[in-house]
Amino acid sequence: MPRRRGGSLHGRTEPHRSTVSTNAIFEPLSLGALTLKNRVLRSSVAGRFDNYDGSGTAVRMNWDVKFARGGVGAIISSNAPIHERGHIVPGYAYLDTDERMPFWRELGKRVHEHDCRYIVQLVFAGRERILPGLRYESALGATDDPEPINGFPCRALTTEQIREVTGWFVQASRRVREAGLDGIELAGANGMLFTQFLSPAINTRKDDYGGTLQNRARFALDVVRAIRREVGSDFCLGFKISVDEAPRELLPWLGRGNPMEDVVRVCGWLEEAGVDYIHVSAGTGFPHPRNPAGRFPVKEVVKTYDTVLSSGPRTLRNYVVFRTWPLSAVFRWWWQRPAKRLGVEGINLPGSRAVKQAVSVPVLCTGGFQTASVISGAIERGDCDGVTIARPLVANPDLVRLFEQGHDSPPRPCTYCNKCLFNFIENPLGCYEESRFDSPEAMVREILSVFEEPSYSGMSMPTGVV
Amino acid sequence: MTTVDTSTIFEPLRFRALEVKNRVFRSSLAGRFNNYDGTGNQAHVNWDLKFARGGVGAIISSNAPVHPRGLIVPNYAHIDRDETVPFWREVVRRVHEHDCRYLVQLAFSGRQRDLGGIQFDKGWSSTDKPEPIHGLRCERMTVEDIRELVRCFADGARRAREAGADGVEVHGCNGYLITQFLSPAVNNRKDDYGGSLGNRARFALDVVRAIRAEVGDDYHLQFKITAVDYGKDLFPWSARGTTIEESVQVCKWLEEAGIDAFHVSSGNSFPHPRNPAGDFPIQDVVRGYDTMISSGKHTFRNYLLFRVWPFNRVFKWAWERTSRGRVEGINLADARAIKEAVSVPVLCTGGFQTASLIAAAIARGDCDGVTIARPLIANPNLVELWRAGHDRPQRPCTYSNKCLINQLENPLGCYDESRFDSRDDMVREILSVYEPPQFVQ
Repeated sequence: MPRRRGGSLHGRTEPHRSTVSTNAIFEPLSLGALTLKNRVLRSSVAGRFDNYDGSGTAVRMNWDVKFARGGVGAIISSNAPIHERGHIVPGYAYLDTDERMPFWRELGKRVHEHDCRYIVQLVFAGRERILPGLRYESALGATDDPEPINGFPCRALTTEQIREVTGWFVQASRRVREAGLDGIELAGANGMLFTQFLSPAINTRKDDYGGTLQNRARFALDVVRAIRREVGSDFCLGFKISVDEAPRELLPWLGRGNPMEDVVRVCGWLEEAGVDYIHVSAGTGFPHPRNPAGRFPVKEVVKTYDTVLSSGPRTLRNYVVFRTWPLSAVFRWWWQRPAKRLGVEGINLPGSRAVKQAVSVPVLCTGGFQTASVISGAIERGDCDGVTIARPLVANPDLVRLFEQGHDSPPRPCTYCNKCLFNFIENPLGCYEESRFDSPEAMVREILSVFEEPSYSGMSMPTGVV
Repeated sequence: MTTVDTSTIFEPLRFRALEVKNRVFRSSLAGRFNNYDGTGNQAHVNWDLKFARGGVGAIISSNAPVHPRGLIVPNYAHIDRDETVPFWREVVRRVHEHDCRYLVQLAFSGRQRDLGGIQFDKGWSSTDKPEPIHGLRCERMTVEDIRELVRCFADGARRAREAGADGVEVHGCNGYLITQFLSPAVNNRKDDYGGSLGNRARFALDVVRAIRAEVGDDYHLQFKITAVDYGKDLFPWSARGTTIEESVQVCKWLEEAGIDAFHVSSGNSFPHPRNPAGDFPIQDVVRGYDTMISSGKHTFRNYLLFRVWPFNRVFKWAWERTSRGRVEGINLADARAIKEAVSVPVLCTGGFQTASLIAAAIARGDCDGVTIARPLIANPNLVELWRAGHDRPQRPCTYSNKCLINQLENPLGCYDESRFDSRDDMVREILSVYEPPQFVQ
C-alpha cells in the first residue's frame, strides 16, 4: 500500500528536509551521445491532448513544458505511435508520417528552452489497444489471442508484416532525429508489441519469432539494429522493458513471464545490438498491479471505463464487476496486493539492479519515485543510474525544484491513488486526488491549467505556424 | 436535373441588420474538435471552412456555451470568457474569405448535459427534476442564478460582436435550458419564471433584452425555438408540452423584445424522434453511447436496452415511427404558423437537401430560408450541386443519424458506409477535417 508520510486529513505533510546527501540526483547522466543535466527524467505520460487523427496540438506542448520548467533533465514523450494501427487510444500525437515533424520540432524547441532534453517514445501497441479508432477493427500483435482482461481483438503479424512494422519504427526514428529531438525510446515494456513477442506467456508463435528466447527477442533486436543503422551510432536509443511481467498477478490462470535471468540475457543482447540505455518497468499489460503500482480507484474506474465498453467482448463483464459490490472490493483487494507486499516507491529496483549488474549501459528505473533520499540511495547503491517519474510529477511537476530546495519529499506527495490514470480516457490528464488540494475547485483549476496558454491568444496568428 | 425553378434559393436574404447571399444556412453543428476547457482548435476552423467553401450563405456556429456549466459535452468551443475571442475572430476571418456570414450560437445546456465534464457535478435548470431520458441530474436555478446567466448570455453576445461575427443566435430549443423554462412539461417553478406562459417566457425575454441592450440595435440577433414540444413522441405518458399556439405568442413577444429572425426546430429534448428525424442506428448507438453511462441514472439501463434484442428493435421501431417517410421538411408546418404571426424572416431546419422542395417552401411562404445540418455533413458542397443543376445530391444524406451518435467518441462526419465506395474512403473523408494541421512547415 502506498506509504503516506504522516499525512493529515488533507493529505498534507510537513516538508521533510533531507538529512542525507542527495547530490547523486544532480550529477549529469550520459545516455550514449546524449548528456542530461541530472538523473531525473519524466517518464512517458500523456493525456489525450492531441487530435483524433494523431496531429499534435499546442496543449501537448503546454503539458510537456510543465515538466521541463519543473527541472527534469529529460522528458520521455507521450507514447508516439509509429502507425495508426499501433496507437493505444486516439488523441495522442503520432509520428507516422513526415507531415507530423513540424509539430514535434516545435515541441522539442519549446522544451529545449528549459535546458531539458527530449526523448521520443515510439510505440506500437499491438493488442493493448484500449480504443481502436476508426480504421482497424483488430490490432496486430504477436499472436491471434485477444488481450486477456478486456478481450481486445488481435491478429498475428505475418513475417511480411513484421518487416513492415520494423520499417515503420525505422522511419519514425529518422523523423525523431530530423526534427531536432534528442533521443528515441522503444516502448518495449507494459505489454506493448515488444512485450508480446518477448513474453513466453503471450508469444505462442511457431516461426522464427516464437519459441526460444532468442526467437522471441528477434523482433526487438531486429528493430534496434535497423534503427541504429538509420540514425547512426551518435544518437541516443533506449529500450524500455518489463523486468517482471508478473502475468499471474493480473489473472492467476495466465502463463508465466520471462524469469529474471532471461530478461537479463535479453538486455545484454539489446546492448550488443546498440541500445544506449535500458529503462526498467514491469507488467505483462497496461495497466498492471505493479505498474502503475498503488490503488485501484473503483469510483473513478466506474466513471470512465464505460468508454471502453465497445472495445472488447470482456468489457461489459468487467464493468459489472467494477460497479457491483462486493465484486469490486474483491477485485480491488486483488489488484492492490502486489503493491502492498512490495511497496510502491522503488518497486522495480530489484529488477533494475539485476539488469544493471549484467549490462554496461546506463539503466533507468521507474516506479513511484518521489523521495530524494530514496532516489539517490538507489543510484549510489548501483540499483540504477537514474529514475523516470510519471505520477509523482503529475502531482508535483516541480518535484526536482523541490529536491533542489532541500525537500526530501514534496509537501503534498503523490498518493498513488491512480485516479490520474483512470481519468485520462475521458478527462484531461492531471492529478485527480482531491485530498491533495485545498478544494475541488483548486484541483480542477490545476488540471485545466494545461490548456493555458491557448493556441489562439490574440497576440498574433495561431502560435503553431512555424 | 431539376425542371422546376429553384432560383429563389440563390436570392439574397435580408434581415434588419444583415444580408446573406442565399437562403441556405449551415445549422449549428460541430464535433468535439476543440480542447476540453472550451478553447478552440484548428480542426474547428477546418470544419467550418468546409461549409463556407461549399457555398452556404451563412454558418451558425456549434453551440457555444456562455458559461462552462452550460456545456453539452466537453470539447466544443466556448464563448464564456474574453480569452475565447481571438479564436472566434480567427474562425470568422477565415469563413468571411468565402463570402459567407458567421453567426455564433449562444448556448446553455441546462440539465441536458450528455457529458458533464469535471467542473460541475450537476447542470442548472428551471427545475430539479432530472432529465428524463438518461437521468441527468440538475439543480434548480435561483433567481440570483438566472440573473447571472442572463448576464453571461449578454457577455457572450458582446464577445461574438468583438470577434467580428455577423450576428448571434440564442439557442432556445431542443430541450436545452431555454426550452426547460418555456416548456410546461419541464418547468415546475412557482416563482416569476414558472406557471403562466408569460412567466415561462420570462427567462428567454430577459436574455434577449439583455443581449439587445449589450450589442445595440444594429446587430443581428436571432432566436432558435422549439415550435412544439412533441414530448409524447418520446414518452407517451409525458405531460402536455409547449403547443404551437403558445410558441406563436412567445415569438411575438420575442420580436417585440428585439429578435431579427426565428429559426424553427422541434422537440423538447435532444435527440428527439423528430430532430434529427430519421433512423435510430442501433449498432452505432451501442458503440457510442457507452461513454455516457456514467452521466445519468438511467444510462446503464438504456445501454442494456440498446444492446439486447428484441428490446432494441422495439425501441428503434418506436423511435422511427414518428418521422417515417417525412424527414425532409418535417418542421415546415410549424415554421409556417410562426411565419404567419411575425414580420421578421423565419428559417426552418429539418433534413433539407432537395432544391425544389426548399424553393417551394420559400415560395409558399412556409419560411424564408433553410438551415441544414446532416445533409451538409454528407455533402458539404450541397449548394454548389444545386447551382450546377442537381435537384438532390447523387449520394444524399440517408438520415441514418450515425453522424450524431459517433460524435461522442469519434470525429464528426458522415458514418454511413453505404454512401462511400469503401470504408477507407469514408474514414479518409472523416479525418480530412484535420487538414491542414495546426503545425505545418
